[in-house]
Amino acid sequence: MVGTFFYLTACTMKNRLRRRLQRLREPRYLIGLVVGMLYMYFVVFRRGGRPRPDTAGLSMIARIAGPMQFLGSLFLLAIAAAAWVWPGAGQPIAFSRAEVQFFFQAPVTRRALIHFKLLRSQVAILFGSAIATVFLRPGSLASGWTFMAGLWILLMVVRLHLMGVALSRSSLAAHGTSGVARQWLPLTIVLGAIAVLASAVAGDWPALSSLTDSGDVFKELQRLGVTGAAGVVLWPFRALVRLPLSGSAAEFWSALPAALALLALNYVWVLRSDAAFEEASAAHAEKRATARAAPRAVVRSTASTPFTLAAEGPPETAILWKNLILVGRYVSLRTLLRLLPLIIVFGVIAQGGGRGGMASALAAMCLPLAAFTVLLGPQMMRNDLRQDLANLALLKTWPVRGAALIRGEVLAPTVVVSVVAWLFILLGAILAPRAASPDGTAAVLMANRASLAIAAAILAPAIILSQTVVQNALAVLFPAWVPAGPSRPRGIDAMGQRLLMLAGILLTLAASLLPGALIAGALAFVVYWITGATLIILPALIVAIVVAGECWLAIEGLGRVLDRTDVSAIDAAE
Amino acid sequence: MIDVQHLTKTYGTFKAVDDFSFRVEPGEVVGLIGPNGAGKTSTLRCIVGIQAPSAGTITIGGHDIVKAPVDAKRRLAFMADEPQLFDYLTVMEHLRLTARLYHVRDVESRAKVLIEELTLTGKEQALPAELSRGMKQKVAIACGLLHDPDALLFDEPLTGLDPLGIRHMKETIVSRGRAGATVIVSSHLLHLVEEICTRIVIIDHGVKIADGTLEELKARPELAAAGSSLEQIFLTATAREP
Repeated sequence: MVGTFFYLTACTMKNRLRRRLQRLREPRYLIGLVVGMLYMYFVVFRRGGRPRPDTAGLSMIARIAGPMQFLGSLFLLAIAAAAWVWPGAGQPIAFSRAEVQFFFQAPVTRRALIHFKLLRSQVAILFGSAIATVFLRPGSLASGWTFMAGLWILLMVVRLHLMGVALSRSSLAAHGTSGVARQWLPLTIVLGAIAVLASAVAGDWPALSSLTDSGDVFKELQRLGVTGAAGVVLWPFRALVRLPLSGSAAEFWSALPAALALLALNYVWVLRSDAAFEEASAAHAEKRATARAAPRAVVRSTASTPFTLAAEGPPETAILWKNLILVGRYVSLRTLLRLLPLIIVFGVIAQGGGRGGMASALAAMCLPLAAFTVLLGPQMMRNDLRQDLANLALLKTWPVRGAALIRGEVLAPTVVVSVVAWLFILLGAILAPRAASPDGTAAVLMANRASLAIAAAILAPAIILSQTVVQNALAVLFPAWVPAGPSRPRGIDAMGQRLLMLAGILLTLAASLLPGALIAGALAFVVYWITGATLIILPALIVAIVVAGECWLAIEGLGRVLDRTDVSAIDAAE
Repeated sequence: MIDVQHLTKTYGTFKAVDDFSFRVEPGEVVGLIGPNGAGKTSTLRCIVGIQAPSAGTITIGGHDIVKAPVDAKRRLAFMADEPQLFDYLTVMEHLRLTARLYHVRDVESRAKVLIEELTLTGKEQALPAELSRGMKQKVAIACGLLHDPDALLFDEPLTGLDPLGIRHMKETIVSRGRAGATVIVSSHLLHLVEEICTRIVIIDHGVKIADGTLEELKARPELAAAGSSLEQIFLTATAREP
C-alpha cells in the first residue's frame, strides 16, 4: 500500500503540475501567475515593500511562548473534547469516490487502508506546515525548521486522534453497549479531563474573583494550567504545543520525546481499533461527491414568490422575478441564525461603549455596515449573469435582446443590496440624533443628518448598480474569467486573476463616479460661492443620475456583445 | 420554415460544420442523423442562436437568426438532450417565466393542458431537484411547447424517458408536424427517425452526405446495395460498413 501511495501521489502531483503549466498558455493564467507571484512576494516576504523586521513572526511568538502554550493546549483539549461529544463530529474516515472504487474492492487489508489514508494526509499536513512557517517568517533557518517540524508532528497527532475518534464512534454505533464497554477508556479520559479543569477553576474561584485586572486573571489561569491536577490533565496538550513554540533547537529536542510518545500512542490506538469503516466511508464519499457536483441545495420549495408575474410586460421584470426567487429559495432561517452570534457580539460591544449607550453605538455601527454593504455587497450577491452563466445556452434561446437580458440580470442584486444598505442608512439616521446633545443645534443637526441620509440613500443604489454592471460586464466580456460551475480554479495564477479583477472593478467604479462627481462638485461649489449654502441631496442626485446613465449605455453596449457571444467560447469551471 | 444555407461552424482550426445547406418546410419532420462528432449538435445550436455561425445564413420563418434574433427565436423551441432548468424555480414557475418571455397570455390554461399531456400532474410545485431526469425532460418540453412554436428542434428527445414517456413524445412530435410545425429531430435512435420522420438528412464530418425520404435514399445508386433499413443505409452512407 505504501508503494501505491507513492505512485498515486507522484501521478497526482505530476498531472496537477502539468495541467497548471498547460493552462499558462492562456494569457489570463499567465498574467494571473505574474500578479499572484508579485502579490506573494510583497505580502509574504516584504510586507508591502518594507524590509523584513527582525521582531516579527516566529521571534515574536517565541517571546510570548508561555501564554501561547497555555492557550494552545486549551485549544487542543477543546478539539479533542469536541470530537468526542459534538454530534456532527467523528465523521467516517474520508475517502474519495475513486479511492472507494479502487481500494475497497481490491485485496487490501483494513490496516493497509488506514496506513494509506495516514500517508495521504501527510501531503496536506506538510504543505500546510510549510506555508504556515513561510507566513510566520522565521528569523533564521534553525527556528524555521523547528517550527515546521513541530507543527507537522502536532497536526499529525491531531489527525490521528480525530481518525481514532471517528473509528471509535463507528464502533460505538455498531456495538451499542458492548462498544461503549470496549471504548470506555478514551471517552473517560476526555470527560475526566474536563471535570478536573472545571474543578480546578472552581477551587480557585475565590482568588480568581478577587482579581480586577484581566491580565492578572489570565496569569492566574496560566498558573492553574501548569500546577496540580489541571497541570497533569493539560500536560499532553502542552507537550504537543511546546514543540512548534520551541525557542531553540535544544528546547525542541527536549520536547520531542513526549510528542513522539503521544504520536505513537495515537497510532497504536488507531491501528488496534476494530471498527469497520468501509461502509460508512463509502457512503460518505458518495455524499461528498454528490454535494460537490450538484448546485447548492434549494432551501424551500414552497417559499412564496416576491411578486406575481403578470402575463404581459418587459422581459427585465421576468428576469428580476426569477432572480429574486433565487434569493428567497436559498436564504433560510438557518442562514440568518448564523449571523446571530455576530449581531450579539456587536450588540454587546455597542452596549458597553460610548456615552450615548446602545443607540449611539448602533448608529455608529450602521455607517461602516452600510459602506460594507454598498462596496462588497455586489461582489457577494451573485444572483445575476454570474450565476446564470451556467445556463447561458438556455438564455440564448430566449427571444430577448442581450441588453434587456443584462438589464434584467443586474436588477435583482441591485435591488437586494440596495434594500439592505437603505436599512442600515435608515437605522443610522433614526438612532443618530439621540446621540446629539439637546442644545439649540439639535434641530440643525437632525436636518443635516436627514439630508446626509437621503443623499446616501440616493447614492447607494447608483454605486451598487455600477459595480453590478461591472461584474456582469466581466461575465460578458471575459466569461472564461468568471467561474460558472460549483468549483473555483485554484493556484497562484487563479489568485492573481482574482486580484486583477478586483483592481479592475475598483478602477471602473472610480471612473464611473468621476464624471458625475465633477458635475455635482462644480454645481455645489457655484451654489456655495453665490449663496453660502451647502448642497447635499442635489449633488448626490446628479451623481446617481449620471451613473445610471452610464450604466444604461454600458448595458446597451454589453448587450450587443452578448448577442454575438458564442456559448462555446465559455469553458466550464475546473 | 427553417432555411440553412452554406452553414459553416469552426472551433479554432477545427471545422465542425462545413458548407451545410438544407431546408425544412412547414409540416415536415426531418431527422438529422450522423455519427458522434458529425456536427449535428453544432448545427442545431447555430439554428437556435446558442452559437454564432462562422459563415452562412439561417432563417426561421424568414427571420435571420443573426440579424433578427428576437423575431426568429420567438418562433422557435429547442429541446436540448440535457434539460436545462433553473434549480430554484418550480415547474409552474418555469412555465410562467417562459410565458412572459414569449408573450403567452393564457398561461394558466395552456400550462394545464401541457401538464396533463406530459403527465406532470401533481408536480406543479416541485423543484427540479425533486424530479427524475425524465420528468425534467418533460418540463423542458412543456416550456418549449407553451408558446406553440412554428419550428421545433429536438436533440435526442427520448433520453431518460420511460416507455410511456417515449410513446407520448413520439405522438407529440408527429402531431406537431401534422399541425404544420417545422420539426427537426436529431437522434442516434435510427428506428425512431425511421418511424416518425418524413425526411432524413445524414451529416458526417460536418458535411451533408444524404438528404431525402427513406424511399429516396433507398433509391440512390450508391446506397441501393445497403438494404431497406435506415440503419444499413446510415452505415453505408457514413462508410462505417465495409
